[in-house]
Amino acid sequence: MKRLLIPGTLVALILLAALAAPLLGLPDPVRQDIAHRLAGPMEGSPLGRDEFGRDVFSRLIWGARTSLGVAFASALIAGVIGTAFGLIGGWFRGLGELLTVRSMDVILCFPPVLLALLVVTLMGPGAGTLILVLSVLYLPGFARVTYAEVLSARSHDYVEAVRALGAPAPRILLRTVLPNVAGPVLVQLSLAVASAVVLESGLSFLGLGVVPPAPSWGLMIRGARATMEQAPMLLFWPCAVLTLTILAMNLLCDALRDAVDPRTGGTRSRLRARDRLLPGLLPAAKPAPDTVLAVRGLTVEIDTPRGPIRPVQDVSFDVRAGETLAIVGESGSGKSVTTTALMGLLPSVARIAAGEAWLGGTELLRLPEEGMRRLRGGAMSMVFQDPMSSLNPVHRTGDQVAEAILAHRPISRAEAWRQAEALFRRVGIADPERRMRAFPHEMSGGMKQRVMIAMALANRPKLLICDEPTTALDVTVQAQILDLLAELRRDTGTAIIFITHSLGVVAEIADRVAVMYAGQIVEQGSVAEVFQAPLHPYTRALLAAVPEGDTPPAGIPGIVPPPHAFPEGCRFAPRCAHARPKCSAGALPLEEAGPGRDVRCARWQELACRSEEVPA
Amino acid sequence: MLWVLRRIGISIALAWLVATIVFMTLHMVPGDPAELLLSTGGTMPDPAAVAELRERLGLERPLLEQYGAFLSGLTRGDLGVSLIDEYPVLEEIALRLPRTLELILAGTLLSVVVALPAGTYAALHRGGAFDRIASGLAALLLAVPVFVVGTLLILVLAQMLRIMPAGGYVALADDPLRHLTLLAMPALAIAKGLSAVLFRMTRASVLDSLSRDYVRTARAKGLTARRVLVHHVVRNALTPVLTVLGLHMGTLLGGTVLVEYVFNWPGLSTPLLRAVEARDYPMVVGIVLTISGLFLLINLIMDLLYAALDPRIRAA
Amino acid sequence: MSAALIEAKNLSKTFPGKGMFRKSRPVQAVRGIDVSVARAEAVGVVGESGSGKSTLGRLMLGLMPATAGSVTVDGRPLSDFTGSEWRRLRQRLQIVFQDPYGSLDPRRRIGSQIADGIRLHGRGEAGEQVTALLNRVGLEAAHAQRFPHEFSGGQRQRIGIARALSTAPDFLVADEPVSALDVSIQAQVIQLLADLRRDLGLAMLFISHDLPVVAQLCDRVIVMYLGRVMEEGPARPVFHRPVHPYTRALLSATPRLDAARRKERILLKGDPPSPADPPSGCVFRTRCQHAVEACAQAVPELAPFGGDGRRVACIRAAEIG
Repeated sequence: MKRLLIPGTLVALILLAALAAPLLGLPDPVRQDIAHRLAGPMEGSPLGRDEFGRDVFSRLIWGARTSLGVAFASALIAGVIGTAFGLIGGWFRGLGELLTVRSMDVILCFPPVLLALLVVTLMGPGAGTLILVLSVLYLPGFARVTYAEVLSARSHDYVEAVRALGAPAPRILLRTVLPNVAGPVLVQLSLAVASAVVLESGLSFLGLGVVPPAPSWGLMIRGARATMEQAPMLLFWPCAVLTLTILAMNLLCDALRDAVDPRTGGTRSRLRARDRLLPGLLPAAKPAPDTVLAVRGLTVEIDTPRGPIRPVQDVSFDVRAGETLAIVGESGSGKSVTTTALMGLLPSVARIAAGEAWLGGTELLRLPEEGMRRLRGGAMSMVFQDPMSSLNPVHRTGDQVAEAILAHRPISRAEAWRQAEALFRRVGIADPERRMRAFPHEMSGGMKQRVMIAMALANRPKLLICDEPTTALDVTVQAQILDLLAELRRDTGTAIIFITHSLGVVAEIADRVAVMYAGQIVEQGSVAEVFQAPLHPYTRALLAAVPEGDTPPAGIPGIVPPPHAFPEGCRFAPRCAHARPKCSAGALPLEEAGPGRDVRCARWQELACRSEEVPA
Repeated sequence: MLWVLRRIGISIALAWLVATIVFMTLHMVPGDPAELLLSTGGTMPDPAAVAELRERLGLERPLLEQYGAFLSGLTRGDLGVSLIDEYPVLEEIALRLPRTLELILAGTLLSVVVALPAGTYAALHRGGAFDRIASGLAALLLAVPVFVVGTLLILVLAQMLRIMPAGGYVALADDPLRHLTLLAMPALAIAKGLSAVLFRMTRASVLDSLSRDYVRTARAKGLTARRVLVHHVVRNALTPVLTVLGLHMGTLLGGTVLVEYVFNWPGLSTPLLRAVEARDYPMVVGIVLTISGLFLLINLIMDLLYAALDPRIRAA
Repeated sequence: MSAALIEAKNLSKTFPGKGMFRKSRPVQAVRGIDVSVARAEAVGVVGESGSGKSTLGRLMLGLMPATAGSVTVDGRPLSDFTGSEWRRLRQRLQIVFQDPYGSLDPRRRIGSQIADGIRLHGRGEAGEQVTALLNRVGLEAAHAQRFPHEFSGGQRQRIGIARALSTAPDFLVADEPVSALDVSIQAQVIQLLADLRRDLGLAMLFISHDLPVVAQLCDRVIVMYLGRVMEEGPARPVFHRPVHPYTRALLSATPRLDAARRKERILLKGDPPSPADPPSGCVFRTRCQHAVEACAQAVPELAPFGGDGRRVACIRAAEIG
């Protein structure tokens, strides 16, 4: 909104001056006074006189009236008709669309100035001709914008809902569609006005727009050109005023567009590489000998307009060779941020605030980018959630896999391609020669995810991180991918971190599980133990919420708190049936509850005793 | 391949539509077109002159016959003769078009060379000093109309500093150095708007591309920053830039008329403006059709390039 | 079971191919489906993407014209209802959507959106009724003054349900109402829908890709694949003892908590075919482990199977069931 202020005020002032021109008591802008031809600043003429002795200041103000008058008139005419066309075309489609929107596109085949010149040839120059031409020129813009917005609004469920409620078409168009279309149309209007000012002045400059002696900025520049050696300021003033007006309008357009489009609004990110704390502030890890990855006290901080937040706090876990660790949690639990941090792929606004992570003998969190790059796709690799968007649409899938091999090993392209083919075969893609030459859009979602897995396996990683790799897929395809991952782990001994929100998937694939809630691990242990005898009330509630057939699922009251509102002490306490005042007293540690079994709950021992009486 | 043929087919259909609309403009204006073309400032033109003009424009014949003759003339490359000096329109265009094309080409090259690297660099260092200065400059350049820039360039470089000629034209064969010197200022004026548009588009497109999942994948593969940038970010960011470039050519072609006028560059705009002032209808139609055709052709080329860069388009 | 409230007979929907110059192939989203829902009955529709389950929901509501077949309400075809009758019919048939973010108008207060259904049909003073509806779905009266972006996904879904209830409907299509929600919130919304059904006697078509959820909430279930019904019958028996090879594969692919319940995994071959180019005969045969040559010859009839009111479209049902 702040960005609207300066250009908005400027445009308002210019408009005001143009509107108030007759009230300002200015000298007649067309009255000639040859005696004062090209005179400098003088009494009553602060900016001097032009080649016919007319007052320059007065002509500037009156010129604004002409330019803006033409611009606004044409933009408004085009706006009203074009928006109506777009609404009709977008709502009724079919023939209506052809007549109102598609037909307009032909106008876009002409360079604007030329279409204007064609009409001027026929009708002669003048303000009326200009308004006609300009409104025709801007019609398709409005029709297209409105049309596209109506189509997008139509596809929204809330429009369908109003239809289902039984509202008639005109009511839906005016009450539901139009308000949601208004923003882009407003932006288009300001664009059209700014562009019309440019075109009007250009045509007037050529002597084909406004007819002299009427004042117009374009005409003033045209006139001043002839005498620019004697009186350069005469050229300067209209140029400056014209440029300033267009600049203010353009800035206003940009600000309006940002205000209307939620995608571009929001926070300005500060660019900053992550800060490098000195390692060794925390006790060193004492991982078991076959541990592939040991994470201790990982904390991620993100700067937001409301202050720094910590979406991940004090996360510790180990992954051993050949083991699958599932990290399970609902949205906002911090599970993806955790793995993104381990891969060194955090966005620039986020930084590691504390903790360490050892991959073999290498500490990941403070490794320089080049060292991290060598590990990524090499010793540790990652499969992402959405295979549709995670592959580059313009490269062949085979090339994308071969590229991963070439990034880590000094072999020939042909050799890399051969190895990629073996990988395609390995992940169960039939006819790999042909599939490798296919582009991502020619493949199904399951197939693309197989390509992503082939890519991740390219350099025989010690650790494979899978971030919800099956969430975007259908169940039957999900089963295929889970099966493939289990088989790969068996054959290669790769350790896997599997992020998911589905407890069913955890039960299918994992050996051990870490349950995350609001940025912290609340419980971890072997899947069998955690699912048979959950220690944390959240784990228990989560298990009870899964529909499994006979007992109706029980929801957990309330919602997951957002990171800027994490409660003090136990973060689950506000939703927990067993909460006591002591739960919110202070930060809770992750306590060891048995071999390889941790829980973060102030009352876990009391609650465990009680639940032993009632079989789970 | 089918896609290419289809796209060419669409272009031909559009060219036909453009020709039809140009033809219809003459007949859609209220009143007798001949009378309209001869009238100046509300005075009734001489009836004999009107009759003669109607005869010369073939307005007496049935509309459909006129339309047929117009279209068949177009396919044969016959654009009629000037009303003023009976000079064949096509010959005039053939003489002038290469000069206009040269100007456009020079301006476009200049813009691409400056704007693509600058836009990419600004996006990669978003919020930095270069980004702010370049973005501000682009906003300013967009706001200054091309004829203002041209006139100011002449005022400062030619009139005040006297380091550049004020305008004009010398054939390349006669004096290559002088030719290029004279080309510099108009090409610069053309490049100013286009480079600003290209800069902004490149910057936005690279920023968008940077945030895509496949860039994250490329980084997760362990590719070097350079390879991620060239193969995944810039490669994907280029396609939308191409489309915008094609669409913006319309404004550019219009701007060329003004630039040629300001710098006395004897391209198509000289006969065009003379013809508009003299209401020389066949000449105006000929030039408008030529430039519109050029516009369609450029967009066709851009779309084909786009398809070459983005495999998804070919499948659609 | 009492007479059907809403009934679809031989319902089909074909979407024309896209593109002005070269048409892509038409998509046969729904092909010859019969469904009936009695008063206060909940029928589940289960299928993966491309099965046509959402299209079926839209067709049943009359929000989309059918290509063939008919939908009748209380025995009268939807096409019979015109003018004011059509508007009154709209009160009776409502819908709840999947996407809690796209289903509410971002620019209007939620109270006003819920009030639409009351005002449009002149059902009296809106204010108190809106409060009652909000309370009914577990929200507070003060929430009426807020905009959609101020709510969480689960709350938005409750608002969507309140809006659907605003016309006091007797038939509700719930199109994947919990798919976009977290597990702990999912259960809340399922519970709410179950309560509403019990308290208001609402008939429901519950569309989902999640068989356990459907088994939980519904009396009967219809399993769809590529626009056709594979199996239908009472929800619990179908869930516990599926007959059609597709239903079995679907169920065995659904991840389960209970290791003991996990039966021998049936892995389907390949990907589902495109609805624009379905296989001949039985549409499932290309991925079916039991497929024989005869499966490609004719579309299998949906025939009664066993004694529990179940119907299965598989020529080998008796052999493999």
